[in-house]
Amino acid sequence: MIDGHGETQELLAGYVLESLSGEDAAEADRLLTEHVPGCSECRLMLDAFQAVAGELALDAEPVTPPDPLLPRIHREMDPRGRSGMRWTPGRLVAAAASVVLVIGVGGMALTQLEDRKTAQVPAADVQNALELAMKPGAVQQPLGGNASEISAPGVQELYVYGRAVPFPAPGLVYRLWAVSAKDAKHLGDFLPYPDGTVLVRLAIDPSTFDHLLVTVEPASSEPLEPGEPAWPEAG
Amino acid sequence: MRDADREDLDFHRRLSSGDRGAFDELYRRYAGAAYGLAYRITGQQILAQDVVHDAFMALWRAPEAYDPARGPFRTFFLALVHHRAVDLVRRESRLRARSERAANLEPLVGEDHAEAIAEESYLGVRRKEVHEALAGLPPEQRQVLEMAYFGGKTQVEIAEELGIPLGTVKTRTFAAMRKLRAALEETG
Repeated sequence: MIDGHGETQELLAGYVLESLSGEDAAEADRLLTEHVPGCSECRLMLDAFQAVAGELALDAEPVTPPDPLLPRIHREMDPRGRSGMRWTPGRLVAAAASVVLVIGVGGMALTQLEDRKTAQVPAADVQNALELAMKPGAVQQPLGGNASEISAPGVQELYVYGRAVPFPAPGLVYRLWAVSAKDAKHLGDFLPYPDGTVLVRLAIDPSTFDHLLVTVEPASSEPLEPGEPAWPEAG
Repeated sequence: MRDADREDLDFHRRLSSGDRGAFDELYRRYAGAAYGLAYRITGQQILAQDVVHDAFMALWRAPEAYDPARGPFRTFFLALVHHRAVDLVRRESRLRARSERAANLEPLVGEDHAEAIAEESYLGVRRKEVHEALAGLPPEQRQVLEMAYFGGKTQVEIAEELGIPLGTVKTRTFAAMRKLRAALEETG
């Protein structure tokens, strides 16, 4: 586990170039949620590296796109489609400014943010969430409690997003389960941030279970089987 | 902040209100840079078109994704294009075929290169600064940077391809990014 600024920043250089994989990518996610938000030195370096990555694009020589491209885009810019979207990515971005929790599969531990008020969301997570929400066939499934599940056909991850999500009583946490006919798999625990927002990425194929269930349970309890549904109104 | 960046901010604000004219202006400004970048990464015109199309559609549908506090619109948008292009090539099942194509880029047909050359002057100036900053890197650092950024390769893949330790790839990448940062901040 990396805990020094130098090693962290070395990882951040690879992160902004989108060249990390495996354990390095997971470690970067951890650092971006647990260390960088509270470390001004690393945060400045991350911003600087992201600026460099943006400028690097200019090393590619410009080429005028084929003429039909803009008309193709115009045809798809139906304002009704924009305003009529069930999912509003802008709300997601607003939420993402305050929180993202990353949860893996198989009951991996919750990634806690040390300082939620100053947490910075990895740009890639926001971007991935936006892209998922805008994929053809993307759906928003209410989970209750002002939270929704966002998934898209053929994409092996999904997001749980919410605003004004109520806080559980002290000592309790929200617990996420992937429920199928044969079992319920614990995915992780989460709490809303001070402003009630939640953005959780679940690295799990939505086609491998029937539905998501959110329960509310003591933080110290073993996640062996689902407890009380947090928001029964979700059905 | 440069004048061009301020203008971009204004266009973005108008676009956020549904102004198609502002969208078209941003397209005019950045479609060439975006297409050139996407083409360099994907090595195929059809894929590059998809990348640019998706990036502009994402901008139209979710302009809030850009936060002016985090830097110029230009770097945000081109980072979005880069992300989509890299994502696309990684999802391509024919990675080997793509690598072969990238080594010998499909020739561009039908594009107006004269128009591409006549891009916004400020963009041309910055492009020159980026070229020079990259040229100033030691060759081994520039190599790993380009393999990652334009080749869409992971550091593990770069290490395997070059036959060097992963730690060396990380060290070179970090050093290259720090040098570029210094060079571009000096000129920017």
